[in-house]
Amino acid sequence: MMEPQASTKQPSSPLHAFLSFLVPGLGQLVAGRRSRGTTILLSVLILGALSVWTIAQRARFPDYGASLLIFLKIFGQTLLLLIFLMALRRLMARYIFRDAVAEAFSGYGLAVVYLILVVMLTSNIVTLAGTSLDIREVHGLTGVLAAAILSGLWLWQASDAGRVASLPEKSPDPSMTLAIILICLLIFALGYNITNVDLGKAISEIDDFSRLLPDILWPWEQAFEYDQQVVEATQRVQAPCPPGDVGPAPNEPHSTDPWLSATPTCGDLGEREIVGGFIPGTEMTLTGGNFPPGQVVEILWRNPIGNPFTPRGVGETEILVDQNGEFTSTLAIPDVVISESTAQGAQIHTIVARQSSEEVFTGNLSEEMILALQLMLETIMIGLMATFFGIVLAFPVAFLAARNIMAPIVSTLRRITGNIVGLAAGIWLAAFVTRQVSIMLGGLEAAPILIFVVLLVTVFGLGSLGFQLGGTLFARILRALSPGLQKAFITGLLAAMAAVPGYFIGLAFSRGIRSIVLGAEAAAADEMLYAYLGAGLFALLAAVYSLRRSGDEYISIGMIIYGTVRTLMNIVRSIEPIIWGIVAVIWVGLGPFAGTFALTIHTVAALGKLYSEAIESIDPGPLEALQSTGANRLQTVVYAVIPQILPPFISFTIYRWDINVRMSTILGLVGGGGIGFILIQWIRLYQWESVGIAVWLITITVATLDYVSSNIRERFV
Amino acid sequence: MLKVENLTMVYPDGTVALRDVSFEVNEGEFLGIIGLSGSGKSTLLRCINRLLEPTEGRILWNGEDITHLDQSDLRPVRREMGMIFQNFNLVRRSSVMVNVLAGRLGYTPPSWSLINRFSAEDRQKAVQALTRVGIPDKAQNRADELSGGQQQRVGIARALMQEPKMILADEPVASLDPVLAHSILGHLEDLNQQDGITVLCSLHFLDLVQRYSTRVIGLRAGQVVFEGGKEDIRKISDERFKQIYGEEAQRLETD
Ligand SMILES: Nc1ncnc2c1ncn2[C@@H]1O[C@H](COP(=O)(O)OP(=O)(O)O)[C@@H](O)[C@H]1O
Ligand SMILES: [Mg+2]
Repeated sequence: MMEPQASTKQPSSPLHAFLSFLVPGLGQLVAGRRSRGTTILLSVLILGALSVWTIAQRARFPDYGASLLIFLKIFGQTLLLLIFLMALRRLMARYIFRDAVAEAFSGYGLAVVYLILVVMLTSNIVTLAGTSLDIREVHGLTGVLAAAILSGLWLWQASDAGRVASLPEKSPDPSMTLAIILICLLIFALGYNITNVDLGKAISEIDDFSRLLPDILWPWEQAFEYDQQVVEATQRVQAPCPPGDVGPAPNEPHSTDPWLSATPTCGDLGEREIVGGFIPGTEMTLTGGNFPPGQVVEILWRNPIGNPFTPRGVGETEILVDQNGEFTSTLAIPDVVISESTAQGAQIHTIVARQSSEEVFTGNLSEEMILALQLMLETIMIGLMATFFGIVLAFPVAFLAARNIMAPIVSTLRRITGNIVGLAAGIWLAAFVTRQVSIMLGGLEAAPILIFVVLLVTVFGLGSLGFQLGGTLFARILRALSPGLQKAFITGLLAAMAAVPGYFIGLAFSRGIRSIVLGAEAAAADEMLYAYLGAGLFALLAAVYSLRRSGDEYISIGMIIYGTVRTLMNIVRSIEPIIWGIVAVIWVGLGPFAGTFALTIHTVAALGKLYSEAIESIDPGPLEALQSTGANRLQTVVYAVIPQILPPFISFTIYRWDINVRMSTILGLVGGGGIGFILIQWIRLYQWESVGIAVWLITITVATLDYVSSNIRERFV
Repeated sequence: MLKVENLTMVYPDGTVALRDVSFEVNEGEFLGIIGLSGSGKSTLLRCINRLLEPTEGRILWNGEDITHLDQSDLRPVRREMGMIFQNFNLVRRSSVMVNVLAGRLGYTPPSWSLINRFSAEDRQKAVQALTRVGIPDKAQNRADELSGGQQQRVGIARALMQEPKMILADEPVASLDPVLAHSILGHLEDLNQQDGITVLCSLHFLDLVQRYSTRVIGLRAGQVVFEGGKEDIRKISDERFKQIYGEEAQRLETD
């Protein structure tokens, strides 16, 4: 005889299994498998909560309490069912069929039977779980599926607790493959529900899509202007015709212009009966003349509100004009629905006889096409400008976020303090100078760009000058002081410096979070308190930090800056450009500048990350070689880093440019300028041909860009 | 000229690469540093020009303590010490000329580097340096187009641009064929004897040390285990040899 199943022979601790059956993961915890236990507990809790939340979403106003109750009841039933099946299997295997059943009914077999049963019993299970009113408010099938899988997980972890408890201590954890499969299944079941996957709809409503497809695929008729000569004559008639009315006078034949005449000009409307039948109205004779001969005249009916239509089933609507330019025909008055509210006084309709020449292609672009072209250009420009600004800003940022560049930057606390004080003084001086210049020029409005440039130059120049000077001065002067005095000096200065950002962060906290929670006015009342609190807190932190260090202790200031820049960059990068677009539209208003602004912000963070990774992967040898020649940091960057990073930088930049142009087509949707701006309007107006033009232009641009950028990239890398 | 006192260097991960190393180098010497790989030769050389920060001890350069100099004060010291490397450490994508000129960066104002400017005089010097190491015709080639031996000559030319008083050479021939090794070391010997430039050169092979050095120190596990003059090197006993290279090491008999 062969061994029936080796796995069933595994030793198991019933106590631990029971503990885990009561509280998931408890048995594992007690058995000393702490991380396994907590993982299981957290997974079961989260999955359970997620299931409850999901099934509650069916109601417009979800009632989570009721859903929880229903879910628990469903869960209890599926758990019982599963336990029952497993016990059945045990019994059958032991007393009836032995090996054959154990084989067939083990593992997958059991799972399949269980799932079939669950699906078959779904409505029973749901009905048992709550009142009929309650269960209409939840996704029953999803709940049952989720509960069924969760039951499996529950039993698995109970038996797992028994198993791991009887393993020798310090042995590695057994695999969790089955649990992971179950968790994935459960998440898939819930996700399917949450995203409303509905393939049936995608097929059954394909008509809606196919109707607009031709317009979008071939919109070029809309792209050009066509000329068309239209010759038209009209005759007014009255219907219905109350006794005594005679209607408008029939037109007399005109000597030169096209004319149309009808008799009588007063009659009854046609009537459409409820069961399909149609009774035409009074029959009129139409005559006309002075139309271009040999061509077809089209008859239209214009109701009292002015809407024209082709009257069907009441006479000829396309009549050939004879050699003399004349025609005769009969037309019964069609059925025209006249609404109660407008049905006052005589109802005057108009018969129109119209001859249109062939459409003549003029070769001029239509207004839509011109607009689309202009906006496409704008789109490309937004992408270009954002990439340009992005490169300029991301370049320095990338160095601050490159570990291999920043890690060696260490400096004494003394020097750092000098740097910070010097930088602050430099920036303050720059602000002062800019202010004086601005006053001299007559205010910010008078010469905004010039003043901006002055600000930039002075901040950069005076800031770096102060940074250098402060560092050197402090390094020299403070060294001469006694250690105690030196420490007091550094602590005081750092605390004062830290108070400034603290002040603004406190203020921002009050104006941001507090004003959202409490309302703007309540928050504004004591915002200064928070500003001072922030300043105090930061000063205190800085003081504590510096008190614990001596002036000539080396601080890895490089890594501090690295960490800060990386964090900021990751936050900015994880917010999608379209969200930045909304922020930018609120900030600087609708239009292309908002789009450029939003894309620039995102580009700086994204390119900064890519660039900094390129910098981190350079060969450190040349860097070391240049350092040993006495080159300073700037020089090593220019001669050892930049030559190495140029190829990946070019590659990343082109890649980003490509993304930016594609992104800028989208940014218009939120008002950020570019073609998306008009595209969304055309979609709302159902102008599918115009939409098609926009889509085509975008496609052509993106494809061209793709081609060009991959070409450039190949050449450089 | 150079005095190393009780130098200890511990890497951040706790590896003690140098332990209480002391020695002195006189002007005009060709000091060989021998030791197995991992014995701390590279670490020692990098501590001398402060590419690495020593944990303890002092480095005296012409009597001045340079162990704690700030970056800006380090600049004039570093440009007096040229350095050449096992892997040449050239900027591979730049031209040979630019690589050689980079040796001059310790003298040029940093802001000039933003516009890639070197004086005509410096360019003149670079051509001379390349002529001296025998590859004047390669000036416009990209550095990675050169053979290993040629790249190391560029490395020497770059060090020459510094007008160094001392050259630190970290296994300059370890990635080269024996024939090329002699040619490169010949250049260093020439600089040492003609120009009076002091040379500190770490080497793997005993025979190379015997051939070129005027004095030698042996490192083992970060400690100086041997120190001797030209005569001592020539008659290093088997026992001494094992002291430096470890018990298992076999002496490779050369001619
Ligand atoms: N960056 C580093 N971080 C940690 N340990 C290092 C580092 N560089 C070298 N070491 C260790 O320091 C010791 C000396 O290395 P090194 O100076 O490179 O020796 P050598 O140049 O003689 O081969 C070795 O044990 C090596 O593993
Ligand atoms: Mg080495």
